Formats: sequence, structure tokens, C-alpha cells
Amino acid sequence: MKQPPAIKIDNLTVRLDGKDVLDRLSLQIETGEKVIFTGPSGCGKTTLFRAILGFIEPDEGDIFIEGTQLTPESVWTVRTKLAYVAQEPDMGTGNVREILEQPMTYRANIGQRKNLSRVPELFDHFSLPRELLNKDMGSLSGGEKQRVALIAAILLDRKIYLLDEPTSALDQAARQTVLEYFQTRNDLTVLCISHATERIDPNQRIIELCSSSKGVDR
Amino acid sequence: MTTADIRYFDLAIGYAMLIVPLAIILWYRIPIFSQTLIAVARMTVQLLFVGLYLQIVFRLNNNWLNAAWVLVMIVVADVSIVRSTDLRIGMVLQPLFFALLAGTTIPLLFFIGIILRRPELFEAQYVIPIGGMILGNCLRADIIGLKTFYGSIRKSEKAYLQMLANGARLSEAIRPFIRDACQAALSPTVASMATIGLVALPGMMTGVILGGAEPTTAIKYQIAIMIAIFCGTAITVILGIRLTLKKSFTAYGSLNHRIFKKTK
Repeated sequence: MKQPPAIKIDNLTVRLDGKDVLDRLSLQIETGEKVIFTGPSGCGKTTLFRAILGFIEPDEGDIFIEGTQLTPESVWTVRTKLAYVAQEPDMGTGNVREILEQPMTYRANIGQRKNLSRVPELFDHFSLPRELLNKDMGSLSGGEKQRVALIAAILLDRKIYLLDEPTSALDQAARQTVLEYFQTRNDLTVLCISHATERIDPNQRIIELCSSSKGVDR
Repeated sequence: MTTADIRYFDLAIGYAMLIVPLAIILWYRIPIFSQTLIAVARMTVQLLFVGLYLQIVFRLNNNWLNAAWVLVMIVVADVSIVRSTDLRIGMVLQPLFFALLAGTTIPLLFFIGIILRRPELFEAQYVIPIGGMILGNCLRADIIGLKTFYGSIRKSEKAYLQMLANGARLSEAIRPFIRDACQAALSPTVASMATIGLVALPGMMTGVILGGAEPTTAIKYQIAIMIAIFCGTAITVILGIRLTLKKSFTAYGSLNHRIFKKTK
């Protein structure tokens, strides 16, 4: 039987403050695809991610994640298939270790608890000093916060990543490490918002959300 | 031993004590002079009015009338709580009413029926003063609890949404906010239990002593009322948050900003 697409969006319309931020957007993303969303500010890139996560209820249209339609009933299961890294991550208060451990206390993530043993290895991989684990999250720089948020997402071991400008606060070397991590993972579906055209994969798709916000494949 | 009455003339002389704080207010030009005069006038009129009404209620001592009076007090407290928070009255008045009703009546009826072992649960002499004390504390705690819960979840909305994105159920994502709200709301009662008797003679104890009872009786009443207040505030705060959740979060778990008077 043919595997359903990782994400399928049918005629999605989202209105915010009376304005159509997304207007009848339709797209399909297959498992393992790497997709970059570009477009000017306010064209609905983040809104699209928020709709996929169920943070915004669409005015029209449907969203399917691995064949499951996003509804108030299914949203709780659907979210356990996604990993989200916000542009300016706010992971809550506490030290970094507590922040990384907290999602593992949720019932849906009990099976991922063993992944916490990967924290030192991931810190090394993303060039973060291990001493940061005992530091307060609020004292971290923007780039450190971004990498901690990425590590938190990786620990959840999801198959679909929604990355909202995940490297905007990183230097060139750190940015390259992040991009290479996703390049080497063919099993992961990655949706990445970027102003600059990041190169995650040689076969990556670039979708420009233009003023009409219907989405144009480039 | 009976309580000595205060003649109205002597009470009027009692107002002379106001000269001291009013003089301080005027001397330092503290901008609450007219506010103070209005507050004193309101206090006098309200208490005279309630005094007259309670006189009738106590004389009739009808269970239905007494229960109705408690219910009226709960409705007034309910409106007062909603007005003190940033929440829309139409969306939370009803759930908060049930939270207050449970938080007041459960410890009240336990106090009168189990501790005092009174044959009548709604005797005016007990149900009105004890109910009033429990309700007053529930009101204060509920305002703190709701303000803390909704204020912090609104302020930390990004962190809250990240928890949902990380796979948290609604109950898991709101748990830290409920914990902070309960801590803020219950801490004053915990602190007053820890210092009671050392810092000041508490209200109920004073009332029972003035009513002519032995100090040991007054102490037993005070202990029981403190426990009843703690129980009532805990019930009111947790139910106040829990019962408003359905209106304050969407079916997808995100915060429903329409619950706030001023939307962001």
C-alpha cells in the first residue's frame, strides 16, 4: 500500500484580523523531503507552521499529517509526529538540563526518555559546551538557545521537523553543522522557513509563499 | 459574661479617631483623602444596612432565608472576583460561581455538621458568620489564583505552545501554571496559620471572646475556622481554574484570547 504523504494541505485559508494570510494554499510533502519556505515577512510562513501544529484553526481547508486529518480530537496524536523549533525559542524557565528533561515527563514521550543519554553527544556535535547544561536558560545567547531548542527537538525522535529560521542566530560554522545534520538524515521530513536560501539537501524543494499566499514551487 | 453594647452616640465619637489618619493624609498630601472619606461613608452605610438585615435574618432564623443569604453573598463575591481579574464576565461568571459555591459550602457544612455537631446546618448564628469568613478568604485567594494563572500563561504563551508542540496534553501543559497559581493563592493562608496568635489575635477568636466564651473555646473555633478556610480556598482556586478551562482554551489546546477583557 502506498505510504501517505508526510504532510498534505488542501485549500488552506487562514484569516487573521480580517486579512487572508494564507489563501487556498494546497501542497503535498512526501516522506523524507526537505522543503524550504521562503517569502517576504508577513506572507504566512510562520502562520502555516502554526496551522500545521493546530495553534491556529483554519478558516477553510484541511491538513493531513501522515494521512491523519488534523481535528480537535486528532491534534494531540498528530503533534507527537512533529518536532517544532521556533524562530526565537521560548522553552520556559529553569536550567538547560531541566528544560531538556521536561518533555520526557509527558505521557506521549515516555518511550523517548532513553534519548536523554544522547545529550552529551549532541552537545558536542552542535559545539555547545557541556557546562551549559547547568546554566539557566535565560542566561544563554540567542545562538545557544537555538541549538538547545534543536537538541530538544532531536531528542523527541520525531519524523517530521518544522524549523522556523533555525539558524538565524548562528555563525557560519554552527549553521553548517545544523544543515549537515539534516542532510544526512534521509528518513526525516524537514520543513524549514528561511529568508536566506538554506541548502539542506541537493534535492530540496523551495516553496515561495508569495503575496497571494498560495505557494509557488521554484 | 455578655458583650457590652455600643451606644450610637459613643460610636459617633469613635469616628473622632479618624482625625489622626486624615491629618497624616492631609499633612503629607497623600492623594487618597476623598477616597478615604468615601470609603468610610460606604463602610458605615453598608454595615448599617447589613446589620439591619441580619437582625431580621437572626430573628426569623429560617433555614431557607439563611441559605439564601449565603447564596447572595456567594453571587456578590463571584461578581467581585470577575471584576478584579482581566477575564470577561460573561465567559467565567458561571464556572466561578460553582467554584465558590463548592469552596464555601463544603467546609462550611463540615464545620457546622461534623465539628460543631449542630442539629440544624443553616442556623443563622453559625452559618452566616462562619460562611462569611470562609467566603471572604475564598474570594481573596481566587482573585490571586486566577490572576496568576491567566497572567502567567498569557505572558509565557510561547513557552506554553512549545510544550504542546513537544507532545504535552492540555493537562500536562497547564500543570506548571496551576502549580504557580495555587502556590500564590494558598501561601497567604499558610503564612497566617504559621504566625497566628503570635502576631495578632485572629478575628474569629476575638469575636468568640467578645461574645462571652472562654478563651479555650475561642481557640478551638479559631483552629477549626483556619482549617476550614484553607480547605475552602484550595477547593475554590483549583475549581476556579479547572472550570474555566473549557472557555479559556480552544479545542486544539491554544489559549482563547476572547476570554480576556482586553485582547492582545
